[in-house]
Amino acid sequence: MRLQTRKVLDRAFAGSGIMAIALMVLALVILLAPMFVRGAGAIFFTGTVEHRRIMLEKFERGDRAAVEAEDRAARTAREPVYRDLAAFEKSLAEGDAATRRKYGKPLHDLKKAIHTLLGPAPDEVRPMLMRDQYGQARWDRAQVKLAQVLYREDWDYSDPTRAGIKRLKPRAADFVGTPIEGLFSYVERNLDKMLLPRRTVYWQFLTDDSYDSHFFGGIWPELLGTFYLTVGALLFAVPMGLIAAIYLTEYAPDNRWTRLLRTCISTLAGVPSIVFGLFGLAFFINTIHVSESKSVLAGSMTLALMVLPTVIRAAEEAIRAVPATFKEAALSLGAGRWHAVRSVILPAALPGILTGIVISMGRAAGETAPIIFTAAVSVGKPLALWQTLTQATPALSWNIFNLATEHEAVDEIRHVQYGMVLVLVSLVLILNLAAIVLRARIARRMRA
Amino acid sequence: MRIISKMGAGLAAVTMTAGIALAGNANQIVVDGSTTVGPVAKAFAEYYMGKHPGVNITVSESGSGNGAKSLINAACDVATMSRAMKNSEVKAAQDAGVLPIEKVVAMDGLSVIVHPSNPVANLTLAQIRDIYTGKIANWKDLGGPDQAIVIISRDTNSGTYESFQTLVMNQAKLTGKAEYVGSNGAVRQRVMSTPAAIGYVGLAFTEGVKALQVNGVEATPETVTAKTYPISRALYMYTNGRPKEGTPLFDFVNFCDTPEGMKIIQDTGFVVKK
Repeated sequence: MRLQTRKVLDRAFAGSGIMAIALMVLALVILLAPMFVRGAGAIFFTGTVEHRRIMLEKFERGDRAAVEAEDRAARTAREPVYRDLAAFEKSLAEGDAATRRKYGKPLHDLKKAIHTLLGPAPDEVRPMLMRDQYGQARWDRAQVKLAQVLYREDWDYSDPTRAGIKRLKPRAADFVGTPIEGLFSYVERNLDKMLLPRRTVYWQFLTDDSYDSHFFGGIWPELLGTFYLTVGALLFAVPMGLIAAIYLTEYAPDNRWTRLLRTCISTLAGVPSIVFGLFGLAFFINTIHVSESKSVLAGSMTLALMVLPTVIRAAEEAIRAVPATFKEAALSLGAGRWHAVRSVILPAALPGILTGIVISMGRAAGETAPIIFTAAVSVGKPLALWQTLTQATPALSWNIFNLATEHEAVDEIRHVQYGMVLVLVSLVLILNLAAIVLRARIARRMRA
Repeated sequence: MRIISKMGAGLAAVTMTAGIALAGNANQIVVDGSTTVGPVAKAFAEYYMGKHPGVNITVSESGSGNGAKSLINAACDVATMSRAMKNSEVKAAQDAGVLPIEKVVAMDGLSVIVHPSNPVANLTLAQIRDIYTGKIANWKDLGGPDQAIVIISRDTNSGTYESFQTLVMNQAKLTGKAEYVGSNGAVRQRVMSTPAAIGYVGLAFTEGVKALQVNGVEATPETVTAKTYPISRALYMYTNGRPKEGTPLFDFVNFCDTPEGMKIIQDTGFVVKK
């Protein structure tokens, strides 16, 4: 091949390499950027007076006098709304039946929409569910709910051969000529006075318990659960994995059985995680009863099984990468085999082993399938350490799935879901960063 | 020597924590099962734990079938189910030394839901059956637009699926085109995002979708109570044996009979039993 052609080919390869990497970075940005932006919305947002009331009443946080003063101001601004509604309702009750029928349903829907936006009326019996006890705590959600107060969805089905067309009908049109006609523009103009929006930083999202199945509060039970499960998995997987790796590299004879064993371990690494999950349920819970029901213990053991092959393979590779001369030198100085492993080979292999462990940690933290049947629940308290032996816990990965699919009010609590995603992704990123830093440090020390 | 004494101390610590953990079991209630009952169970748990901070109630929503299995394996204290236990399950439980005791918590109507843009407002039971067996495959046959019907069903582990099979399908086989999803919430979201879809969910999951009238009757608390809505059913909690009075388990299972419990059932969108 001519020199010129070779050069061109070379450049073409370098160029496509750069392209590939650029595409990857772009994909990563497209993937991560919205995740971070929307996830940050769980912590940084414009909170209303309702948010501050929740903080005060449920967590005893904030300046009581200030919040109560705000609450009074908000109530004063809301007062005309409730007054007009009550007056209209009274006049309806005293009026004729036809008018009552005409306004019955629209009024009922309107009251519901206002309740969702501003919370229960002052004279209303305190509702049971916390989601009904407060108005909108976030200004962005309040805007959505305001639109639902001002407009109602109306579907035009006049042409049955085609799908209906959505029309937003102003509710005000339903009440023309009634005393509450002016209520709508009042609500629209004075919403900020009724809810008093303010920039809010809610760091405690990470450390607060959840209230009313994630409608309010934070994600502490999930965060703690993920932590327990991950650490628990490593407690089982690391010692076993290390011992297995040392045995396989230093002690096991190199015969057909050992090779078969290695193949088995590699295969185990490729087994889908849901299979581990079902195995964990069938074996740990239903057969050997490590706990009566789902528990962090059973979940950790299942996760440990799942990451064990990774730990073994990483440790094996790392140990194999230690130059044979290290071991030979140690043995020639009279060290026993175990002594050589402990004082020469393991320290030299440590960076590789640690990388394997930290990557496994990230995987254990993020996996959902192994813990569905063995450890994870939708709702539960944060556990004390000793409770992990017998009790199940919410965990980030599972609860993200739960909030995204099963939860009855998915759209109301998207921010919680995104917040959980952000925390989980950050957790895994931090773990991976820690692996890189740790590895670099140890490698530097080894060279010195 | 030092290592051995350390190990001894460690062992002692482990036995102690295990002892504490076992002692703490009376104040732990594990609830597993139906995704339909989920909102009620979660709200009950939250309310009860608020009143009794020492009790930890965990709630999983894995489907009625899994709830029953879990109870049979003694892996949960309360199995929430949106259908009654089958004879086969009761038998399996008895063989395993578990005595399932039934408690009706609330009533529910199976709402048949479509996308809000769908002009169809009413279907008869026979029509719904024909849709799900595949006999009717296009909305135009039902007076709607010319669009192939996307059929969404719950998975076979679901109590909602079993109820639908019994109350609507008369155990007829679903068409192979049906799409199975894992929870009420997922059915709702699938229907919400698919204009030609039809699905069925519990009463508490109809926000943002259009619930059809069945045989001309709308699913409301009144029609469900009066049984005029044709696909109504009970929601259950099952325990192993009758819970002892005064225990948290007893309180939890019977919470639906208290005024607070009834209010929660209504506020989550279900119907208080008579």
